[in-house]
Amino acid sequence: MKNAQLVRSEIRRLTTTRMPLAFLVVLGAMAALNAAVVAWGADADGTQTFLSTALDQRSLIAFSANSVIIAGLFGATAVARGYGHGTVVHVFLATPRRLRAQLAQFTAVALGGAVLGLAGVAMTAGAVAAVLPTTDYAFLISTGDMIRLLAASSFAGAAGALLGAGIGALVRNTGGAVTGAVLMLVIAPPLVVQIAGGAADWIPPTLANVVSGVSNEVTVLVAIAALVLWAGVPATIGLVSTVKRDVV
Amino acid sequence: MATRTLETERIHPQPSQRRDRSLALEIDSLTKSYGDTTVVDGLTFTVQPGRVTGFLGPNGSGKSTTMKMLLGLASADKGQATIGGIPYRNLPDPARTLGVVLEPNAFHPGRSGRNHLRIQAEATGIPASQVDEVLRLVDLSPEAANRRVGTYSLGMKQRLSLALALLGDPPVLVLDEPGNGLDPRGIRTLRDNLATRAANGDTVFVSSHLLSEVELLADDLVVINEGRLVAAGSISELRNPTALVRTTAPEELAIALERIGGKVKRQDAGTLVVEGLSTEVIGEHAYREGVVLHELSLHEGSLEEMFMAWTGDAASANPSISGKKEVVS
Repeated sequence: MKNAQLVRSEIRRLTTTRMPLAFLVVLGAMAALNAAVVAWGADADGTQTFLSTALDQRSLIAFSANSVIIAGLFGATAVARGYGHGTVVHVFLATPRRLRAQLAQFTAVALGGAVLGLAGVAMTAGAVAAVLPTTDYAFLISTGDMIRLLAASSFAGAAGALLGAGIGALVRNTGGAVTGAVLMLVIAPPLVVQIAGGAADWIPPTLANVVSGVSNEVTVLVAIAALVLWAGVPATIGLVSTVKRDVV
Repeated sequence: MATRTLETERIHPQPSQRRDRSLALEIDSLTKSYGDTTVVDGLTFTVQPGRVTGFLGPNGSGKSTTMKMLLGLASADKGQATIGGIPYRNLPDPARTLGVVLEPNAFHPGRSGRNHLRIQAEATGIPASQVDEVLRLVDLSPEAANRRVGTYSLGMKQRLSLALALLGDPPVLVLDEPGNGLDPRGIRTLRDNLATRAANGDTVFVSSHLLSEVELLADDLVVINEGRLVAAGSISELRNPTALVRTTAPEELAIALERIGGKVKRQDAGTLVVEGLSTEVIGEHAYREGVVLHELSLHEGSLEEMFMAWTGDAASANPSISGKKEVVS
């Protein structure tokens, strides 16, 4: 059996329930929120200068930081629910080499996270572009910058999904895995930053913004490497846990 | 399940295309502990091809853990479990070697039955056309297959579990409570299908709590209690028939029968229970001794009685085989 077959099977596993749809609905809601901000939001002086430059608009549309978090929840749910529903048994009966099976699932989940990241930024950009004509400003983002936003959000989504998948494989309980992902991506980073201010440059939302080109705390390559590390460590722990522990 | 399908049809009917279907399951000194609790303790037995073997034991006796270790889902602390001499995880084509029913509820409620099968087919390299084939085999209609599993009854989930197990037309079936939730017709058809498979040389290993069902289904039995083997063998051997004798001279007859190897239990006045001798031999000896018989009848214990005896007092119920390797044949 080929690895591509396994990944395809895992993609089918992900796409044959309503979970991806639920995440797309969340992305749609976030895009609508951004559109509402463009339509009715204003600075303190009543103007909309937060839309006045290409960089402002890129900052508004840049979705990478959200991608990491949303895809993290997606990855945690996607992997942990297999244990909750018991379908993981079918996975490891079909592919008793657990490392291989889990790698295929992680690959599919990372692809899913990338698609969510891509959809998130595309929907946000579309919603903002649709509402901008009601303001004094045109859509100012260049094609090159737009492509970078799309690519960065996809990458951040893949990284977030992998991080969540690792937590899901380790925790094996959907509620616990989602809580773990929220702790790691939403709650812990600001607390760590309060303790060590320098850590702010290295938390996933900051790194994702650097990759998007709307922030420059570190270089893009360093940000990419750091995000890979953020995703890779939990994913590796999850893989080891899958191989070492009994399935049920 | 439709009788026409399960009883007579196979997915790959051409013998020339069939793989070696004679694969024994060998459980050798299997041991598993969780913390201080040993749930499987040096378990050794063999499940032979061409037979339906029932796997019995009280709740918490270690049946499910044994099956999980056989299937590589749980690791053994000691010993090993193999299929045709190969551990499950090393099987070159597990889905076409061994079909499994473990839990009828191991499905995502939001996914359709058909998609569960398609995912498994894709993961194992089985052609998608087999999905419709196994759905027909287990009598799940296309409409039902396209519905979300969350809307299924327990019986429908069980049929879907069986469809998953049969997807690769494997020569070995390991089924945990396969009749759970099936209606009487479904159970009958399942029983016939398993018997047909065994008659074709397949290996069928079935765990169940329904003793009456196992009695009808199985050729052989493996019984465990507290993680240890307490009985193994063919049902006919294990029944250990006894003769009930009522006579006017019980002591005289008892001595005579013990002399030729009978194991005699003296019950109330005038009644003997004899093991190890046929009614013909007992009758002939009574005649030779000049003993008058008022009754001479064969008594076979029910599976329930045997089960209670084996598991009520664990190993002492049949110490001759406890802890020893018993080939189920």
